[in-house]
Amino acid sequence: MKVLFLGRFAGGHAPRVLARLATTPETEILADETDTARLAPALAGADIVVGLTWRADFPPAPRLKLLQCIATGVDRMDLAAVPRGVAVCNTLGHETPIAEYVMMTMLNLTHGLFHSVLSFRAGSWEASLQGGGARHGELLGQTVGIVGYGGIGREVARRAAPFGVRLLAANRSPVGDAVPVERVYPLADLDRMLPECDVVVIACALAPETQGLIDARRIRLMKPGAFLINIARGQIVDEEALYAALRDGRLGGAAIDVWWRYPTPSEPQPRPSRFAFHELPNVLMTPHSSSFTEGTAERRFGDIATNIDRCVRGEGPINVVTIV
Amino acid sequence: MKALFLGNVAADTAEGIRAELPPGLEVEIFVDPQDLLRSPQAAADADILVSNHWHAEYPPMPQVKLVQSVATGIELFDLAALPPGVRICNAFGHETAIAEYIVMVWLALHHRLFEISGEFREHASWRTSWVESGAPHGEVRGSTLGIVGYGRVGQEVARRAAPFGVRILAANRSPREPEVGVEQVFPLAELDRMLPLCDTVALCTALGPETTGLIDARRLALMKPTAFLVNIARGAVIDEDAVYAALREGRIGGAALDVWWQYPDAAEPRRRGSRHPFHELPNVIVTPHNSGWTQGMVRRRWDEIADNIGRCVRGESLINIVTTI
Repeated sequence: MKVLFLGRFAGGHAPRVLARLATTPETEILADETDTARLAPALAGADIVVGLTWRADFPPAPRLKLLQCIATGVDRMDLAAVPRGVAVCNTLGHETPIAEYVMMTMLNLTHGLFHSVLSFRAGSWEASLQGGGARHGELLGQTVGIVGYGGIGREVARRAAPFGVRLLAANRSPVGDAVPVERVYPLADLDRMLPECDVVVIACALAPETQGLIDARRIRLMKPGAFLINIARGQIVDEEALYAALRDGRLGGAAIDVWWRYPTPSEPQPRPSRFAFHELPNVLMTPHSSSFTEGTAERRFGDIATNIDRCVRGEGPINVVTIV
Repeated sequence: MKALFLGNVAADTAEGIRAELPPGLEVEIFVDPQDLLRSPQAAADADILVSNHWHAEYPPMPQVKLVQSVATGIELFDLAALPPGVRICNAFGHETAIAEYIVMVWLALHHRLFEISGEFREHASWRTSWVESGAPHGEVRGSTLGIVGYGRVGQEVARRAAPFGVRILAANRSPREPEVGVEQVFPLAELDRMLPLCDTVALCTALGPETTGLIDARRLALMKPTAFLVNIARGAVIDEDAVYAALREGRIGGAALDVWWQYPDAAEPRRRGSRHPFHELPNVIVTPHNSGWTQGMVRRRWDEIADNIGRCVRGESLINIVTTI
């Protein structure tokens, strides 16, 4: 039984997964998946692949039983190109830190914390009562709309409720128990929810229905001065339209953790967008790090090791997304 | 009846609550308190004073019944210079905003938000990213939050922190029953037992003889080496030299400071909040005493002040009485 850790991401985390294994399969790490000379023999002998991507031009993997995604989203895997009968599994455990991140950035944006800190560090009291400065906002009484009322959306709602906010949500499928959310709109009625919200949180999966969901027209439906928080996937939001709305001050600000451009072996430090979000003072930006806590690592690497052990022992896997 | 509004904050308050004041109430406003020294009659027939201070050299107010502070603290009022029988009332409305601030910086310290976003914005560094296998940051779940001063602000913090799945402890001068989500309220005298348990210590006490210098070098050494300290109370609750040294040397994990040991004045409007350069420490979130300075706070506070003025005019019992001279 052989496990292949494929790609920079899985390769980098391999030691932490291996440290949690109860079984002792053969292992191989191939960090550069574009190295075709090594990729063909590696895939030919792999029973289990741990990775983030699966491309249609990959060489055959005749022994493959388990394709274990090292993240939650399998959107970088071309499932049609995965050999038939393979179980595609993901990992979770990220709902807690992402919900914490959403609350943190929601508070930051409404309170204008970065403005206060930067001006005070520079020696000015302008953001205070003593300095005669403008008052900042608070969360109490705001309306928060959560797009995608899944695991993360529910964790956000549970934490936001005691702040005295009005909670709305939009979801593709009908939601049974929505408490503490006041109302769940069908995703098709998103246009009715957006104008109500002071804060819009994007927490849905990337799928055909959500690709480009927040486009220029929907951004115009949002309140002037409203905040957008995206912890889902960059492609859900129209890059150019969001940049323009933030630059022109039509939106009050944004917290962005997920992007349109990511590091590659040839470009390890790219700007995360073709637009200069990093020059906008009303943007709080993080490098897809909201979920990356010790807690998530413990939960995820433990789950991945569990799945490898189960596969080695011939048991069925957990966290199955689909059997191809 | 006449209400005298003294100073710029009171003058703003007068404008903000004008429509809510009882008809027939005379309103006199001195934006610059120095002008009152030249107008003793304005003080002589005032029934209500709305201000953030009162000095002994001001002309006497023999008729005054209500001294309404525009703030929560009344330390800038010279109480000995006010006539016997006058009631001193304060105003709140800041608890919500400050509780939100505490939760915000508590999360930001654990998640290393300033470090991560700063590196990403300035250098396009993906070092801290999930996709780069870098060093993960913290989360608050499973951590212990200690609230020193389980009063209005402290209770609002506990209510908001509870759903994050944390252990919440508190310490208070007077005995107080813990609300749901709070495991234990220690007497303030037993603070030394609580401090070593906490991953974050949030100071929410009033400034008084028991709390001045409360967090000194010895108590800082009782805290975990990774712990965060949040102060929204008053600068003087913490020993300035000791906390600077502990933060600079990494003996505690970090801090968020909104209140300071010194403040700007007309002569030095950009005076730093401390004689030490806290603003240069990467593990410290510094804000200029504005955690409660929100639009909502001002509106709630104005409503309380207008309510109290109305009660005084109608001869009803007052709210928010701090003391009677």
